[in-house]
Amino acid sequence: MGAKILVLAEHEGGAIREITWELLGLAHRLAGEAGWNAAEIKALILGQGVEGPAGEIAGRGAAEVIYGEGPALRNYTGDGYDRAIEAIVKSEAPEMLLIGHTPDGWDVAPLISAGLGVPLATECSAIALQGGKARLTRKVFNGKFVQEIDLGDARPLLATVQKGAAAPFAGRTQGQVRKVTAAVGDADLRARFVEVKKGEAGAVDLTQASVIVSGGRGLGGAEKFSVVRALAEALGGQVGASRPVTDMGWLPHEHQIGSSGVTVSPKLYIACGISGAIQHIVGMRGSGYIVAINKDAEAPIFGVADVGVVGDLFEVLPALTKAIKEAKGQA
Amino acid sequence: MKGLVLVKQVPNTDSPFRLNAAATWVDEANLTFGLNDYDRYALEELLRLKDAGKVTEVVVLTVGPERAATALRTCLATGADRAIHVKDDALQGSDPLSLARVIHAAVKDEGFSLILAGLQADDDNHGQMGGLLARLMDRPCASAALSLALQEGGVIRVERELENNRLQVVDLTLPAVITVQTGINEPRYASLKGIMAAKKKEIRTVGLKDLGLDAGQVGGKAARLKTLRLAPPPKGKGAEMLQGPADKVAQEILRRIREKTGVV
Ligand SMILES: Cc1cc2nc3c(=O)[nH]c(=O)nc-3n(C[C@H](O)[C@H](O)[C@H](O)COP(=O)(O)OP(=O)(O)OC[C@H]3O[C@@H](n4cnc5c(N)ncnc54)[C@H](O)[C@@H]3O)c2cc1C
Ligand SMILES: Nc1ncnc2c1ncn2[C@@H]1O[C@H](COP(=O)(O)O)[C@@H](O)[C@H]1O
Repeated sequence: MGAKILVLAEHEGGAIREITWELLGLAHRLAGEAGWNAAEIKALILGQGVEGPAGEIAGRGAAEVIYGEGPALRNYTGDGYDRAIEAIVKSEAPEMLLIGHTPDGWDVAPLISAGLGVPLATECSAIALQGGKARLTRKVFNGKFVQEIDLGDARPLLATVQKGAAAPFAGRTQGQVRKVTAAVGDADLRARFVEVKKGEAGAVDLTQASVIVSGGRGLGGAEKFSVVRALAEALGGQVGASRPVTDMGWLPHEHQIGSSGVTVSPKLYIACGISGAIQHIVGMRGSGYIVAINKDAEAPIFGVADVGVVGDLFEVLPALTKAIKEAKGQA
Repeated sequence: MKGLVLVKQVPNTDSPFRLNAAATWVDEANLTFGLNDYDRYALEELLRLKDAGKVTEVVVLTVGPERAATALRTCLATGADRAIHVKDDALQGSDPLSLARVIHAAVKDEGFSLILAGLQADDDNHGQMGGLLARLMDRPCASAALSLALQEGGVIRVERELENNRLQVVDLTLPAVITVQTGINEPRYASLKGIMAAKKKEIRTVGLKDLGLDAGQVGGKAARLKTLRLAPPPKGKGAEMLQGPADKVAQEILRRIREKTGVV
């Protein structure tokens, strides 16, 4: 039986990444909506020596797991993965191909889109199937709005799915595994994996801080950070930042909070001039109490904050610093 | 060796965003526009290769309406050598794949060894164009670059941003396409001299006909990824909003910090 939904599994040295279970959870829900048989949910895993992981996935959500092996697939490269995936998708002809919106999933998905000539919906937070039509929800303008799109009659429906968008599949299955030899040889590759390495470590460790005052692009410059620093000092806390702040060199990289920075969970987090893009929110939403100060009443940061002020941070921060110093008897 | 940067003009993030009447996109009337942030970093990367004598010509290309020419001028003033502006009313409503086909048609005979794009555009957030174009041109691609270095033997070494402060190092055989992540460098600004020099530089404007394409094949009519509607993001639990003069608001915040966190 061909696949209705094909899920691209992700693993790291054989350890299955959480996104895989989330995609399978989503696949089961969508198959239910579309009236498809769960026997038509398949997964695809690529690598070298991945028969074991394939078996694990067959036990936890996929009716069949196709595993592609070959030296060209030992490590992820867009070139190698794209060719292997395109070949398998052509023979399986699924209605839908689900990929995680991860660094590698996002890297390969556009290649598959152009290779198969089907449109791609990236970073979906929700997908619904109704009457043979897909409705996909994703963010635009860095989270200021959500967009609902459809992909017309293109097949497979191709989407990358945001982490955490779907509940992981929690049931058991007794799926099969099947090996395919990768259609791509090592010598054909125009992309060569060299290594995965750690980025530079910084001097500050925000993960242990109990109070963090963070500044974003709304600060407007490195020298303006004194208002953030003053408040952090009054509270005995640390200074954090959104990505543009560290990109522009206003603060060193180790102050960056979010998906490509550090994940923090202080007792108190104060976000100043930060709009609240998802990549920032995933790094701070575990904080105990969140205060947001932003001049834009519609800023998404207010969606995760406990208390918010619509106003100019350059007025609110000094006032707050003063109030705290007074309360501590330091004024 | 010739290099190309794909650039897009997008609304500035501090513009006043409002939905249009049909709620299918934002109302552009009150927006101000600028060069997509990621593309500024991509341009800088190619300009540095030119400064180092490794790239001979830096070309920028955009597909967009009349106003997008301003973004090309910014690039020329910053140091790009020439610009291509693909402009055609039929392109309104294009989806990423059909835009990639248009870009492919515009660049396929130029012989670019290195094509850079931004990781994503700050408006549609698709994050697709570099990869789409690479595959259409049958070239290798690496996304989210935080460093690029040309090697011996027509190879470029790319460090791709992964999660948890890790990087994947990958070597691509040229010609190749790379998408650039923000923070890869410190982009320069246009100098007065650059702005003057830009006036003499060429912006070539081309339409679908010039590219041997017709509307229907590409453009709005061929789009399959279609926007149904835009809406404000779901509010989550939503914050308690405080109002009033700064001093009063500060006292209110302080009271809550004391009650809820005990850090003061
Ligand atoms: C792969 C990837 C990884 C990423 N990783 C991260 C990450 O780890 N961390 C991260 O933060 N981002 C990350 N980003 C970037 C993210 O998408 C956003 O672009 C970024 O978080 C926006 O930062 P910001 O809120 O400071 O800036 P903006 O979105 O520009 O917001 C600035 C805010 O300041 C407000 N403001 C301006 N002036 C004032 C004032 N005087 N008073 C009060 N408010 C004011 C504005 O209303 C606005 O809301 C990543 C993006 C990608 C694609
Ligand atoms: N209309 C366009 N014209 C030229 N380049 C574009 C266009 N749209 C996207 N790009 C390029 O592709 C990158 C990613 O855009 P996107 O896939 O729309 O998120 C941008 O940073 C640009 O480098």
